[in-house]
Amino acid sequence: MKSIHTVKVLMKRELISSLYGPGIYIAIFISFLSSSFILKNYLDSIREDNISISSDPLNYPLFISVIVISFYLAILSAISISRERDQGTLEVLFYGPVSCPSYVLAKYFKDLLLYLVVVGFLFVYFWGVSALTNLGFSYGLVQAAFLSIFSVSCAITFGLFISSFTNRVRSSILYLVGIFLAFLAVQLSHTILLGMPEENMPSALIYLGNTLSIISKGVEWVSPFSYLSRGMDAISLGNPWLYTMNIIYCVIYSAILLVLSTLVLERKGVRG
Amino acid sequence: MIRTENLCKDFDEVRAVRNLNLKVEEGEIYGFLGPNGAGKTTTILMLLGILKPSRGKIYLFGEELSRNFLSLKSRIGVVSEKQYLYKEMTAGEYLDFFAELYGVRNRKKRIEELLEAVGLLEVINRKVGAFSRGMQQKLGFARALLHDPDLLILDEPVSGLDPTGIKQIRDLVREENKKGRTVFISSHLLSEVERLCGRVGIINEGRLLAEDTMENLRRKLTDVEELEVEVSEAKKETLEALSSLDFVKGITKEGKKLTIKVKADKDHRAEISQLISQKGEVVLGIKVKEMSLEEAFITITQKNISLLAPSAEG
Repeated sequence: MKSIHTVKVLMKRELISSLYGPGIYIAIFISFLSSSFILKNYLDSIREDNISISSDPLNYPLFISVIVISFYLAILSAISISRERDQGTLEVLFYGPVSCPSYVLAKYFKDLLLYLVVVGFLFVYFWGVSALTNLGFSYGLVQAAFLSIFSVSCAITFGLFISSFTNRVRSSILYLVGIFLAFLAVQLSHTILLGMPEENMPSALIYLGNTLSIISKGVEWVSPFSYLSRGMDAISLGNPWLYTMNIIYCVIYSAILLVLSTLVLERKGVRG
Repeated sequence: MIRTENLCKDFDEVRAVRNLNLKVEEGEIYGFLGPNGAGKTTTILMLLGILKPSRGKIYLFGEELSRNFLSLKSRIGVVSEKQYLYKEMTAGEYLDFFAELYGVRNRKKRIEELLEAVGLLEVINRKVGAFSRGMQQKLGFARALLHDPDLLILDEPVSGLDPTGIKQIRDLVREENKKGRTVFISSHLLSEVERLCGRVGIINEGRLLAEDTMENLRRKLTDVEELEVEVSEAKKETLEALSSLDFVKGITKEGKKLTIKVKADKDHRAEISQLISQKGEVVLGIKVKEMSLEEAFITITQKNISLLAPSAEG
């Protein structure tokens, strides 16, 4: 009971602080700008072709919005523990009734609740877009929004894990961006190699392609963004089993990273 | 209140704390002293559960710390050398956050009481980022007292404070101790520790070298103590009679003031006073020239001598 109270108090303070700060609103604005750009291109192509066949036309703009917000929340969580460690406030919290699990959970739920607030903004935005453009506010969009909560949870826990072992804000951001860029590089190289005809390839490139294929499969499970992408595929395929499994994978992924973050924090300590 | 059993902490190859057996009694003010790098802060961090001991056990309030970690920590108030405040908060918001964290009832009233006690009530709505070092230290003190702790752990609580600030903190510590709170102070300011503490523990190179009252420490450290005696006449025969006493090791005379070196095995003031009276003189004043804590500290740490019984050393 005491730990739940601790989680609630820590979470409340941080949530209020985030809601009063400009960061989340800037991230929402950028996400809307990105999806508006996609929507504009989409509407332009409809105007040119006079036809559009899509059951969930707003899902891709939503996907872009969620990716932008996920990236912001991953950075926010990646600097959360390291910033407090750097400033020394983490140590003062641990003088009191704060334990590593309660602290990590408070950080996690704060960011997740922050995302739920964002989901409210997303609904208003896409409802407005739907009303203005006549693009359907479909059941698939609601499914995608629901899925996004779980995929964002993966991004948050990934950030928390980075934060648990870093001592400074700058190193947290460098680690996070570095890892995401590495994921992207693996996926891109793999896609490029897949597009090349295998018969003309030197053996070294074939070997590289095979290695990248294995690494890429691993990245699909490690990268938090893959879960959203896979879930979106499940929605467009109309496959409820794949959709549900993806949510379960997100829950398992988040739980594993939360446990790892707690263990690393316990091992590394509040002073770093 | 605090008891450690063979407490050890190793950092890679370095043993920061070695077989530490501390014992702090309920209701006392205990001074924990040692030179830089002696292992004081490491010990405090272990007492707070922030560092895990490599070996040994910690008992707080009679219970083993590792068994009831959170509940025991909730009975401790901590003031560290630096306060690490949330600079964007006001003093009131800062204390309210910690009061809520500790589950304090009537938070507003308690916060106002404490801010008044530390002299910060007027700046309750000021951002703590704008506070001076002394104000931050006092706010830290208020935070440590919010939940009415049974034990106060103060790590260099007056470091960097001006004399007025030091006095305010000293008065607060005395007041809190009078209310029954046990106080554990680690400080470099030996004069402060000497004024406040009933017992002291001296640690060097991670090893507890002495743990006793000031009076007993002096007694253990010196074979000879000096008595400053002021007499009415300082006659030759009085000096001769004093010199004949077997516990007297030497006498110097300066006017009517005598400095008598005596064996430090017990208090000899009564015998000396009686002898002077027998010689028809009046004793105008007699006092023991005491070894200061600073002198005791330097003697113990420089010579690295242990005043503990072998069993207590672990």
